[in-house]
Amino acid sequence: MTIPLTASLRKFSLPLRILAAILGGWAFSWSFVACSTTVLVGLGMPFHDAETASLMLGLLAFLTVFLWAFATRSALRVATALPVGALLFHVVALLLQRQILSWGL
Amino acid sequence: MFANFRQSMAWLHTWFGLVLGYVLMSCFFFGALSVFDREIDRWALPETRFAPQPMPSFDKVLAPAFARLEADPADYALNMPAMHDPAKGPQTPRLSLPADEYWAYTTHRDPVLAIGAGFRVPLAKDPDGHNHIHGNATIDPRSGAAVPSDQLKIGSQWFYPMHYSLNWQWRNMGIFIVGLAGLVMLAALVTGVIMHRKFFREFFTFRPAKQTQRSLLDLHNLTGVVALPFHFFFAFTGLLIFAGFYYFPVSQFQLKPLHDQHEIIEARETGLPHARAGIPAPLASVDAMMAEARRRWAARDMAGEVGFLQLQHMGDANGYVSIYRAGSDRVALVGEAIHFKASTGEVLREEPPRAPVPALNEFLAGLHLQHFEHWLLRWLYVLGGLLGCVCIATGFIFFVEKRKQQHARSGLQGARVVDALAVGCVTGMIIAAIGILVANRLLPAGLTDKGAWEQQIFWGLWALSFVHAALRGAPVAQARINPAWREQCWTIAALALAAVALNAITTGDHLLKTLFLDPYLAVAGVDLSLLVCAGLAIAAALKLARRERHPVAMGAADPVEVANA
Amino acid sequence: MPESLWLIIAAVLSLTGMTWLALAMHWDQVMPRPASRADAPRRTLRGFGTVMLAASAVASMLADRPSMAVLVWFMLLAASALTVALALAWRPALLRVLCPLRAH
Repeated sequence: MTIPLTASLRKFSLPLRILAAILGGWAFSWSFVACSTTVLVGLGMPFHDAETASLMLGLLAFLTVFLWAFATRSALRVATALPVGALLFHVVALLLQRQILSWGL
Repeated sequence: MFANFRQSMAWLHTWFGLVLGYVLMSCFFFGALSVFDREIDRWALPETRFAPQPMPSFDKVLAPAFARLEADPADYALNMPAMHDPAKGPQTPRLSLPADEYWAYTTHRDPVLAIGAGFRVPLAKDPDGHNHIHGNATIDPRSGAAVPSDQLKIGSQWFYPMHYSLNWQWRNMGIFIVGLAGLVMLAALVTGVIMHRKFFREFFTFRPAKQTQRSLLDLHNLTGVVALPFHFFFAFTGLLIFAGFYYFPVSQFQLKPLHDQHEIIEARETGLPHARAGIPAPLASVDAMMAEARRRWAARDMAGEVGFLQLQHMGDANGYVSIYRAGSDRVALVGEAIHFKASTGEVLREEPPRAPVPALNEFLAGLHLQHFEHWLLRWLYVLGGLLGCVCIATGFIFFVEKRKQQHARSGLQGARVVDALAVGCVTGMIIAAIGILVANRLLPAGLTDKGAWEQQIFWGLWALSFVHAALRGAPVAQARINPAWREQCWTIAALALAAVALNAITTGDHLLKTLFLDPYLAVAGVDLSLLVCAGLAIAAALKLARRERHPVAMGAADPVEVANA
Repeated sequence: MPESLWLIIAAVLSLTGMTWLALAMHWDQVMPRPASRADAPRRTLRGFGTVMLAASAVASMLADRPSMAVLVWFMLLAASALTVALALAWRPALLRVLCPLRAH
């Protein structure tokens, strides 16, 4: 059972890598922007300043993970690490946002 | 999958560069044209060929022009049913909508003035929402007379949006594709530097006499390396300008609650009313407010023309007028806003100097959007954009040259297909761009929907160039040069000369007049650029003809670097 | 118009600097004496070339406010590097004229 699975994985490894690099990288950096924005707002920066700074960092993050997606050995690692990272950043962003909103105006 | 790090980076550079290079090519080319979008507008709209004007008097010129604005029928048909609540009463007819917001925008290069209104939707489903039906116009600021709206401003309404959206509005697909292309550009720069080991040693190296592959790679490296900061920062800032709204819109999605809370804090801090009060109020003299704004900028030792004027909550006690300075003397965008209470003219708020993060952001956006007045830098930007085009185009041709011998031996068509696409994207794109200018001078001025005709001709010519390149591409499969390159170079030269001649014939603004007798450099600049383009196209065509007759011996140049490229 | 004067000076300085750097790197393409016997003049050219580029940055700063000058300077460097590279390929003799050392 394991042999056909690895063989089919190898066949789809390039399309998987490309898809993961573009869509996974996008999701990852989007959540990164959200997370970084909430962290900076939490540290006392005004919302739009925090958002702008995070967008700049987020674009650089996208570039970095995009390159990493092709430099790293395993396509499967790319396809799991990026969505998991995106989910983690997203959850942290939502929790921090709830915390900040609870401080009130 | 990849044997080593360098090989994975080379794969990324080659294949993403090939697929998205076609998009990047139009971003760089039409971006370079957009540097002079206003000047191309003047060329295409002869009745607007007069000197740039400052923001006109509100009381004498703008107020009557605003009063003549109507809600756009298409916007009304599309958005009115969605915003209006039929349970509360009948839908307000288009021409009876009350105006809520007015704006006017000009730069130091604009003879004509762009103005617009946001009309309020009474009986809205969501009374707290931003319920606006828009109506825009372009006016002659000397008289207030409207400039016909069905004429296409070829520079600012066609070439400019082309470079960031490919003029493909459906679900903003064009903007997303250009976004991916921008990311790939950044990745291609990084991977290119990794691949190009002799980065410094070959900094000035261009050997046109060597084999085609070698001299192509030289040119590819040279154009990429000398303008590396330009390429990087234009790709990066282009992405940044759209990032907040399109690519990572966190404030509209997961962080909307945080964003909305900030809006309330901001309204409280700035004292600028977020909503109408529902109490009617008159409008004080806006001219007096503009004079006061100019006085305050002068007191802070800043060049002081009004760039952007905005009136919010018209006719309401909460109404206010925002006056922004035209940022012609600096890289950062318009700013130093001063807000006035509309009913009394008293200053509500003078915006403080920016914090470091927004200042950096406005510098980055400003260096891309170029509101400043600096003609040398503008031309250097054109050069940067064209260097980007040469870099991408040589990348395509290198891809073809490297493979066509082998494809010819094994009967593959890959090199032929890529070559035909490259012809369409390089010479075909220039044909389309000059073709729309020729069409603009040939189509009669009174033609209904002239702008739509021009757009169709633009796409039609571009499509034809692809068909022509594909039909003439057979020699590539035998490892020879596609004659379409040469033929399309001749087409470019003919079109460019025709455009200059047609401009002289139909408007009387020939180069002698626009340069010496009655100088008007915007039009002269476009004409001269067309002539230079024609000259380069003729030189290229002659050179290609020589190459077709006496093909240069092919052979791998530097096996190591060519293998990596 | 002192601004445009400073801009012209900045452009000339950057072009000269790039020329000298190119001469130092591609000595054999331009000069009759082989590069292996011209180490000293090449080092001098490299040094002077770098100084010229720095001087060009200063001239740009005198023409415009710093934020604008940075952009102008980087774009001038690109334009002059390209010009020098094309001259080196097609008219190398032109570069010899700009060489400050009598060291052919």
